[in-house]
Amino acid sequence: MTNTGPAISLAGRTALITGGSRGIGKAITLKLASRGADVIINFLRRRSIAEATAEEVRAKGVKAHLIKANVAEPEEIDRMFAEIQDRFGKLDIFINNAASGVAKAALELDVRGWEWTMDINARAFLLCTQRAVKLMPRGGRVVAISSLGARLTWPAYSAVGVSKATLEALTRYLAIECAPLGITVNAVAPGAVESEALKLYASQETLSRPDWKQTPAGRMVTPEDIAYLVLFLCSEHASMIVGQVIVIDGGVSLAPINL
Amino acid sequence: MPSPVETAVTEIASKILRKDVDLTTVNNFKELGADSLDIIQIIVRVEDRFDIELLEEDLQNIKGIKDFVAYVEKRIAEKNN
Repeated sequence: MTNTGPAISLAGRTALITGGSRGIGKAITLKLASRGADVIINFLRRRSIAEATAEEVRAKGVKAHLIKANVAEPEEIDRMFAEIQDRFGKLDIFINNAASGVAKAALELDVRGWEWTMDINARAFLLCTQRAVKLMPRGGRVVAISSLGARLTWPAYSAVGVSKATLEALTRYLAIECAPLGITVNAVAPGAVESEALKLYASQETLSRPDWKQTPAGRMVTPEDIAYLVLFLCSEHASMIVGQVIVIDGGVSLAPINL
Repeated sequence: MPSPVETAVTEIASKILRKDVDLTTVNNFKELGADSLDIIQIIVRVEDRFDIELLEEDLQNIKGIKDFVAYVEKRIAEKNN
């Protein structure tokens, strides 16, 4: 392949990545930092891990700022954005990555499990984007991390799948409202990703499948794959991609025999 | 006399489970009616209260409430050292 243009630069941009200290979030954090963005890393529990990620970011010559906040709690979202306003005064990129969920069949799902999953995966996207947009007077980029489970079904994935379907619908509505403001809103829907989160799900019998690694492309999607796609969506080159959900799955969704 | 950590865990568990709990009468949180989401919330609140990290690899080996309290006290001591 030939190089068809300059490398994407995010110098001078400020990016918030929820759940940005581990797994897919960490890969995105490091990718945006490697292209010059200052990053705000939101995390929930493990400060030592978040500090380590922040150190990796600073080694790239850009700023890293940590904010511990549970995005399931609206008050904590308010506190997080107030801190961003005070410290940075603006935001250029918001990556909605933090996620959680209960692993249950739809017929076994109770109210608490439903609300827990929806609050973190869907409501937080709405509340954070509402606040992020106010810090983007000159335009910006919003990217949400979805899942193939929004459209396809996996055992015990009902709560997460439905929450991600909500996130995808919200992506479209937000995108249309934000486009006139120079802000693009898009989502990325990965298939099974080689990550700690997958190990957690796969350790539960209902989700342990021997064929996760089988994709037409010959390997699983990695956090790095997703980070490159997110980087592109955050770039100037992606200004006309509005309200789309971009699947990144090595072709799995086109070859359901492997699911 | 309960230790400060026992008192804090009792207070947090009571808040999460929305009832007054007596940790001395049970062996584990599940006997109090806690499910896995309750337990995660208790862990997160205890971490916030004492500004410590409770590690998943350690929590997997916790056998009951007494163990949990002792582990929290150990992590607080490690932080202070």
